[in-house]
Amino acid sequence: MSAGAVISRHTGEIAQALQQATDGPVEVAWLQGQSCSGCTISLLQGQYPTLEETLSEFRMELTFHPTLMAEHGEAAIESMSKSPDILVLEGSVPTEIPSAATLGETPDGTSKPLVDWIDELAPEAEYVVGVGNCAAFGGWPAAENKNHLHDVGENVTGAKGLQFEQRYQPGVLGPNFTAGSGLPVINLGGCPPHPDYILLTIATVLNGHEPDLDRYQRPKPFYEPLVHDNCKWRGYFDRGEFADKPGEEGCLYQVGCAGPYTNCDDQTRLWNDGTSVCLNVGAPCIGCMEPGFWDRFQPLDKSVERQNIFGVDVETAGLAAVGAGVVGIGAHAGRKAMGYGKSEQGGNGGQSDAADAELTADVDEQPDAEAGDDKSV
Amino acid sequence: MVEVKIDPTTRIEGHHGMELQVEDGQIAEAKSTMKMFRGAEIITVGRSPRDAAQLTGKVCGVCFICHRIGSSRATEDAAINAGAFDGIPEHAKILRDAVEGIFFLWNHAIHLFALVGPDYSDAVADTGFDRLDPLEGDGYQGALENQRKLMQALAEFGGRAPHPLAFVPGGVATNPDVSTVQTVKSRVREVSNWLGPTDAVPDVLENVQNGEFDPELGEGLHDVVSILVAAAREGAADLGSGPNRYYSNGLFREPESGERIFKRGVYRDGSFEPMTKDEIVAAISEDTEYSYYTEESAGKPTEAQPPEPEPEKDGAYSWGKAPRFDGETMEVGPLARLTISGYDPFDLRANLGGGFDESNTLNRLIARAQEVLIVRDRVLDLLDAFDPNEPLMADFPDNYTGKGVGLWEPSRGTLSHYVDVEDGEIERYQIITPTLWNIGPRDGEGNPSIIEGAIVGDEVADIENPINVMRTIRSFDPCLACSVHVDSPEGSYETELKPASPGGMTDVGSD
Repeated sequence: MSAGAVISRHTGEIAQALQQATDGPVEVAWLQGQSCSGCTISLLQGQYPTLEETLSEFRMELTFHPTLMAEHGEAAIESMSKSPDILVLEGSVPTEIPSAATLGETPDGTSKPLVDWIDELAPEAEYVVGVGNCAAFGGWPAAENKNHLHDVGENVTGAKGLQFEQRYQPGVLGPNFTAGSGLPVINLGGCPPHPDYILLTIATVLNGHEPDLDRYQRPKPFYEPLVHDNCKWRGYFDRGEFADKPGEEGCLYQVGCAGPYTNCDDQTRLWNDGTSVCLNVGAPCIGCMEPGFWDRFQPLDKSVERQNIFGVDVETAGLAAVGAGVVGIGAHAGRKAMGYGKSEQGGNGGQSDAADAELTADVDEQPDAEAGDDKSV
Repeated sequence: MVEVKIDPTTRIEGHHGMELQVEDGQIAEAKSTMKMFRGAEIITVGRSPRDAAQLTGKVCGVCFICHRIGSSRATEDAAINAGAFDGIPEHAKILRDAVEGIFFLWNHAIHLFALVGPDYSDAVADTGFDRLDPLEGDGYQGALENQRKLMQALAEFGGRAPHPLAFVPGGVATNPDVSTVQTVKSRVREVSNWLGPTDAVPDVLENVQNGEFDPELGEGLHDVVSILVAAAREGAADLGSGPNRYYSNGLFREPESGERIFKRGVYRDGSFEPMTKDEIVAAISEDTEYSYYTEESAGKPTEAQPPEPEPEKDGAYSWGKAPRFDGETMEVGPLARLTISGYDPFDLRANLGGGFDESNTLNRLIARAQEVLIVRDRVLDLLDAFDPNEPLMADFPDNYTGKGVGLWEPSRGTLSHYVDVEDGEIERYQIITPTLWNIGPRDGEGNPSIIEGAIVGDEVADIENPINVMRTIRSFDPCLACSVHVDSPEGSYETELKPASPGGMTDVGSD
């Protein structure tokens, strides 16, 4: 199915959702934490509906969005629903330095930390959506302070996602958090996520459907496909033809491509109305859709077999052989060793039991006593 | 004395607020507060120089290309100084300039139509136009449609927008063919046609002043000029006066001569002083007296440590530092670039804005509109000069030791990245952004930043509706929305300002 067909299949659904947001009592509050506004700019490039339609509908009807709404400041905060149908966060939440992201004021006139807003609003929301890698998993603000500079922790500001810190629970909200709908935080990984992911997810829940989530709480239809499987360079990988530097003809695996470890459907969906995608222009995938991005794939310019992915030493898992140019069977052996084998038997969309078990360990690794409802402020 | 607090100021990358002291209807003092900190410079230390561009490129999702290129130039400079790198291929330079130019057009279109434009919609409507209604107007919708085409053009080279990954140390990691370049050109031409011919500006100006509209002369041109005419009628030339000191890193090299279209240097005391990179770097320092950073975080960006947070610091009011040039504030952005380069197409600033080098709210808008026309032509020239079959990436070294500076010139003004690399690992990193120059805090000498100084002295006719303050804040393109929380000794007032719409009342409520 072409990218256009995939999108147009959902156009009616988005239109219906926007209609409902416009006509009905649906209230959406969109907050920004330690953000770069990239997720909002991504949203505005959505084609179905168009930017104009989105702006128009969101400005008129959504109760709070710092970039799109008509009201502002104190009036905006007053107009913001305190029990929103959907609470959206863009950007991470600083927990060690709460003043590193604030919105409005507390009654005593001091700046009100974002973490307080999340504590207040999330339990009242029907759905909570983390848009982008920062809101979902902490993103780059949560990346390691490698040289231990200054009197701050490894995570400079204590940046966290809503329910995850990198690949682990908990984030700001406890591991057992569920919104009014009974669902945990819906995570839309990506730096930024594709605009369709944002609009379709909002449309799905506005239309009363329950999204099917993976173990990182991402909607499966977007986050099941493996970048590597749909890459235009996949044939080069199978033949062991590797580029020496970005932009060259060939598979970019040796120059740091995280495609074999990254799940999203951007390779077929494409960006900017079907124009292109990172790998198509010779830029290695940096794994921005994944929890643990940034440090998990760092250094980004080194071939992945030098890295310790999923806690597995890939050198012994067989990928080193692939990296050395052994073709075909080596690739599949490598993938199986990494836990992707089941997808080839029509399994659970690219993640095998082995990977499931390993990832489960990530999520459950921290005991509840530590995880608890710790909000780290 | 009445205290006016603007918090939060929405529609800006990051979080920002403004505190004003108003006395006898005039602004006596202003404090500009940046309300977010992430620690990008700290996080960058200890990593591969190649990863610096990837990480710092994500500092801003609005200026997403600019930081990637600024950072790449810093690490490339360090490698060159180490004797480990010969520089990037010529056509990578051309492509970087071309994409930056496309980015300029995108950013300026968004700013003029979607952010600043609505401030003047009522006034535009008074001239007979209803095209700039923020939601329904044909002009507004046309601008949004055209910005999307520019983003698609950026994605042709970068893979996606925002946050394209193709701009990295060593050049541009993309492999376009001739048809890719043709596609980009045709998208830019479509936008160019919507805008209209540059030489139609005088006729369009006359049209707008007479309330006439001629689509043959360019729909976009009529819309942009109508904003300028409306702003002039609203007295924007008398608002937001700066010190007439400007600084630009320069941009857009002529492929043949290597000379920059926008010159590099400063403009002060009524004249332009061309400067080399070394002279510019030697002149810049940062102050942290009123910043939530330790005193040790101040000084020369080539020497100071990455900013060390001190969130409880007494007297501090901003997460921004105060950059100074020879100890003085400098205005950056389109007005700075055009004044420094001696450009004032059709004498619009000389005739409408009180002088081509006068820093005020109207001239910042005019310069941005003038720059759209200059850059539009420039982008097409650069794309003509660009040969996609030439090399676009050079081998970038893995291991070297050296110091580097990357000067760049994004749409909002000067950007500089500073890096020290030791055995292939980043030891020190500093970034000074355009917005910091314009809207950072005051320095240890008590000198206000550009925006803090520009607002002082302006009248606030209606304290519950300080629309002109908002117009001035927006003229710097920090994308602030107009929301005001007014505190006074008598009590607290809240004011709501909606984007104006033609024929409608500006909605003002208070309690």
